[in-house]
Amino acid sequence: MTLEYILITAFAGAFLVYLSGRISEKLRNSFALMVSLALLFLVSFLYNRIGISNEYFSFLDYALILKIDWLSWLFGTAVVSINLFAIIYSLSDMKGKKRLDLFYLLMFLVNAGMLGVVFSGDFISFYVYWEIMSWSTFLLISFREEGFRAGLKYIVLSIIGSGSMLVGVLILYSRLGTFNISVIMKQISMLSTGFTFTILTLFCVAFGIKNALMPLHTWLPDAYTETESTFTAVISSMLTRMGIYGLLLVLFVIMGINRYITLGGGKYSVVLSWLGAVTIIMGTFIALLQNDAKKLLAWHGIGQGGYMILGIAYGSVYSVAGGIFHAINYSIQIALLYFSIGAVEYRTGTRDLNSLGGMIKKMPVAFLGSLLGIAGLIGVPLTNGFVSKWLIYKALILNRSPFLAFAALIGTWGTILSVYKFLHNIFLGQLSEKHSEIKRAPFSMQFPIVILSIVIILFGVLPGIPLYIIEKMMIGMGFESFGVKIWGIASGTGNLNTLSIFIAIVLVILGIYVFYRSGAKSKRAKQEDTYAAGHYIQKDKYAYTAEFYAPLFDIIKPIFREWINIFIEKLTVFGNNLSDRVRRIYVGDLGTYVLYIVLFLAFLLVSGLNIW
Amino acid sequence: MVILYGMGSILISFMVGILFAGIARKVKARVHWRYGPPLYQPLIDIVKLFHQRSVSHGFIFDFGIFFSLTGAIVTLFFIPIGYIVPLRESGGLLVVLYLMLIAPFGIALSSAEGANPNASIGISRKFILALGYEIPFILILLSVMTYYGTISFAEIVEIQRESAWGIISMPVTGIAFLLILPAMMGLKPFDQVGAPQEISSGPEVEYGGIYLAMSTIQHIFLLFIDIALFVALFLGGGSEPLTFFLKMLPVFFVILIISTIYPRFRIEQAFRFCVRWPTILAFLGLLYVVWR
Repeated sequence: MTLEYILITAFAGAFLVYLSGRISEKLRNSFALMVSLALLFLVSFLYNRIGISNEYFSFLDYALILKIDWLSWLFGTAVVSINLFAIIYSLSDMKGKKRLDLFYLLMFLVNAGMLGVVFSGDFISFYVYWEIMSWSTFLLISFREEGFRAGLKYIVLSIIGSGSMLVGVLILYSRLGTFNISVIMKQISMLSTGFTFTILTLFCVAFGIKNALMPLHTWLPDAYTETESTFTAVISSMLTRMGIYGLLLVLFVIMGINRYITLGGGKYSVVLSWLGAVTIIMGTFIALLQNDAKKLLAWHGIGQGGYMILGIAYGSVYSVAGGIFHAINYSIQIALLYFSIGAVEYRTGTRDLNSLGGMIKKMPVAFLGSLLGIAGLIGVPLTNGFVSKWLIYKALILNRSPFLAFAALIGTWGTILSVYKFLHNIFLGQLSEKHSEIKRAPFSMQFPIVILSIVIILFGVLPGIPLYIIEKMMIGMGFESFGVKIWGIASGTGNLNTLSIFIAIVLVILGIYVFYRSGAKSKRAKQEDTYAAGHYIQKDKYAYTAEFYAPLFDIIKPIFREWINIFIEKLTVFGNNLSDRVRRIYVGDLGTYVLYIVLFLAFLLVSGLNIW
Repeated sequence: MVILYGMGSILISFMVGILFAGIARKVKARVHWRYGPPLYQPLIDIVKLFHQRSVSHGFIFDFGIFFSLTGAIVTLFFIPIGYIVPLRESGGLLVVLYLMLIAPFGIALSSAEGANPNASIGISRKFILALGYEIPFILILLSVMTYYGTISFAEIVEIQRESAWGIISMPVTGIAFLLILPAMMGLKPFDQVGAPQEISSGPEVEYGGIYLAMSTIQHIFLLFIDIALFVALFLGGGSEPLTFFLKMLPVFFVILIISTIYPRFRIEQAFRFCVRWPTILAFLGLLYVVWR
């Protein structure tokens, strides 16, 4: 019963918000907040109702089913929380922009679509909600005029993905005669290896496109860059990760870990893991070369997605736990980062990394959010990203796959370089003269930033909170338990104790602070008052932000190009030229057409072909 | 007990680091045919800086340097100096790898708030150089962890004590580590980050007084950590702090002599060097470990 109410609330809420927007702006905003709060309560109170499933509708004699397990509960809660933060954030970010009723309608439709996807118990519902989600996303990406091309790119790939999923679903139905996921789970062992391989590949294409797995990632950078920051936070943190949800559903809930890991003698897992590893390296290093703050983060969306795919595809207990945990962690970090850069863009009107700088003095909360966000992306100890990455590395090393581990660790260094550039060029360095009057972001923008920052530290110091749920979920999928404690991991092959690292760091910082206070005092200096070895530092002329890693760029630029995008663009040009040539045959002049016919007849006579 | 061990490892590494910094100045002076300052000169400098007034540029300027020094000290807690390992069961070598990046990251945050272009240039050089030496360094750590089949630092040292030293089991990997050690410690020919003649000491340009003292202490700890990593991973560590120290001394001396006679690379030359020979050697070492 409850599950239907959630979906009814989500869909009806969307239209309610739209209609109330017709009456007044204030009413719409308060409805939007109320609906998203209600959804958060409804979904999180399903905590004690795990395991129920019920039929809610019957379509052509096929029962449509909603179900809830730990996997859908975790993703569902994440979806509604991020949605709530995005709605709060949008109150000031979207203020005064055009077609806002439509914007909120689509935001809630995307949210409802995602909830539908995670609670679906059969593939018809899954597919329908998946499409609702994809199409509303398309409309939101092309919400601004600049975003139209990006939206088109997205929807073309998305249609390919859903087409591939639909083929997979129908093939499954033709063999098993059911759309019900729990029935398919029981019968999947009857299928032959080749059949399973085909189905799995079709689903992997669909979910790989959504999760931007290379080489299917080309939609992502433009889509993230061209949308409103409010929606970029949603699309980057949860919508893209629906691919991870789908992959978990197909690989571990439906197929089961043992069948997956032995598929094709284990080669399937190896190929998928290496695709993830390549995605990590290419994604993070291409991010290094970007000068648009949102595009830089978008490439990290691809790179960090690679970690999740790598962890999940590798298929050992620790790596899968790390992959799932990383998806959750990353959704928090990237939402935080997009909220922060959105706040900067809201106040300064630019997100060009070469023309900002020194914003820490003006927007300290946005700086705090960015700092913790990038620390999480890197995986600095005591942030949540550290624990998930540690789990993945540990699995790769102890199972003797050092080359995969190398790809993942090098990806971390690509991340450090690029996110430091992000932080430095926006918040550190010299404050430009034209930004000297900037005010802090409004409260409704700061609120989500502060809350998400706290969550990053909380999950980093006490990773047990989310890991308990992930462990329960994985036991349900047939994995063994992996010794989660509230302070980390306790296992026979090496512990992780984040709490003791936390205590050590706090004690050491206290000691250093005492040392610092007991030394001679310091006085505050302004940014003009710096040492330049005898030179006079002119205002606005001496900032070292443009081309931050110039010596490195010359070396790595030829390697890390957007090869696939270049190839696709060449293909487009080739297709255009070809069509153009073909078009020239049809000149529209009757005499020429008669000439074609005569020439053709002459050709037939001369060649001696006897066709009549 | 853990706190006592922690204090012990801070104290030992500080003293050894100060001694090494003093030896460095003395040896360099002798190579230059100078007499050189006394061995305890670095300590005198720190005490002097402690009492000098200084300039601060804001909250992150202060916090970054605390953070950096904290990163260096907490990394120490994971390194088995003889029997002293304060944080033995907290995540092993993988945590060390991550903690080691806190120190440069903190300095980068702190000095960048100083809004001095020289500092920014220095940081960008530091990160480029770090990417260069981290590529072989990660390969080396992966070889070691794969060879011994554990991620626990203390266990790696114990296994070496029972069988052979790491440098004998994995000679190629060990040589690769020796090649990148000067780059990790920021000694010539890899001192582009703080090049005094080019960019006024880079990230340290805005530091004075207590800040410069903390930055120097952080450098001293990092000096210790880098050599200690080599000794613990490839020379079998030591059963006592004293033997550990005795193994560190010749390693440091070799690197010091190299650094004294070489001029500074340009940053792209340094990066190319790091991703060429040490990386090739480390990669071969990893291949050997995997297909052994």
